Amino acid sequence: MQDPRIRIAAAAILSVSAFFSVHGAILALLWWLVFTPHVHLAKKIRLVVPLLFMTAFFSLVLEIFSGNGLSYFIRMTVIILIGMWLFWEQKPQEFLATSVWLLGDRAGFNLGLVAEMGMQSLSCIRADVGRIRVANRIKGLQWGVRGLIPGGVILVHGAFARAEDSAEVLAIRGYRSGGTLCPEFLTRPQDLVAGFFAVCVMFFALVPVSEFFILYR
Amino acid sequence: MRITLDRACAVRDHWSLTASGTFDEGVHLVSGHTGSGKSTLALMMAGLFSLSGGSIGKGEITSCMLSLQFPELQVTGRTLEEECASWGAPAEEILGATGLVGRKDSSPLSLSRGELKRLHLASVFSRDYDLLLLDEPFSSLDCGEKSKLCTAIEQRSGITVIFTHEQEILPRVFRIWEIADGKLTDCGRPPDAYERWHHVPPAVKRLAALGSLPGNISTRDIREAACRIPG
Repeated sequence: MQDPRIRIAAAAILSVSAFFSVHGAILALLWWLVFTPHVHLAKKIRLVVPLLFMTAFFSLVLEIFSGNGLSYFIRMTVIILIGMWLFWEQKPQEFLATSVWLLGDRAGFNLGLVAEMGMQSLSCIRADVGRIRVANRIKGLQWGVRGLIPGGVILVHGAFARAEDSAEVLAIRGYRSGGTLCPEFLTRPQDLVAGFFAVCVMFFALVPVSEFFILYR
Repeated sequence: MRITLDRACAVRDHWSLTASGTFDEGVHLVSGHTGSGKSTLALMMAGLFSLSGGSIGKGEITSCMLSLQFPELQVTGRTLEEECASWGAPAEEILGATGLVGRKDSSPLSLSRGELKRLHLASVFSRDYDLLLLDEPFSSLDCGEKSKLCTAIEQRSGITVIFTHEQEILPRVFRIWEIADGKLTDCGRPPDAYERWHHVPPAVKRLAALGSLPGNISTRDIREAACRIPG
């Protein structure tokens, strides 16, 4: 999907739909299967596997204590898949461009800048995780629970250090608030079709199906 | 003791690297632009990167160590003492050699990048490895520390491969290699290698232009060559 405005809106709509109900989640999953390069994504983003395991664990706990575990698992899995697609398709500056288009040069620019820095930080963390895994192998350590704590400390420490560096760079460049940007977007017909069906998914997820058939009772 | 690369190939998205050559005992320098694939080649030689083709043979090499560019990512100990122990290095000795005496209970992440790099390198050099791969070992070090590192590298036995774009303070090397356009090239031994080597240090270039070619790329060799210039 080329147009980031439609992509971000579709991801938000589908996530809300999936969160609201199981049938909303199933419809969002169908949308994900039709409109995203799902097989390619699953191969590329290996982070999805531990995330799904974590969701399965919490779902099991929920199932034992309240009985809604399966519903939670289905809904959260679909949200993770949609998030994965959004993250993978996102290109640098798209959040900034979309945010400025939506909210203007001041609030929009600030919000977009924060989102861009967050995305950049995620990419850095991803690269660091790969390097830490290599480093652990060099030291003969297994990548497991024992390695998680020092690895996590390094990641958090690195994220704070980068945030401080970014803040200094912004201050040196005289950034106070807002900025000018003339965003340009490329919208393909397929984007509009996918966006339309995402709205349909939300409609069917939020409006009870029985409402349509009440006249036939 | 040698490591042989036979069309060893690494592929990453839209980028690839092919490497062939034999690294015998001694110090080898691998140079190349940022992003040329030096770190990937280091990982390949350490057996930490799955090859897409070709092979890497490690004849008679029983121990191998790779020192990564960013020392903070190799930290696993909560204290400096634990960090040294994680490398199998004697903590007191290492802390003494790196000017960190009395800080054994400090967190490794409280050190500056330079201090941590010194601690990391001292830990790595505390043990004898048949194959030692050093990825950008000179980064974050001042001139004095770079010189000390050069001495430590020259005093080592076995195979040492340095992956760097350092241009000023370098050790005396046995062979020079270069990565360009996704391919590893053997430039040969200094001083003959200078003709084929695109990353010749500026000092060597200037001396060559003045007709006094240094026998090697170390500071000592460059100084000797400079002294030979009449007037």
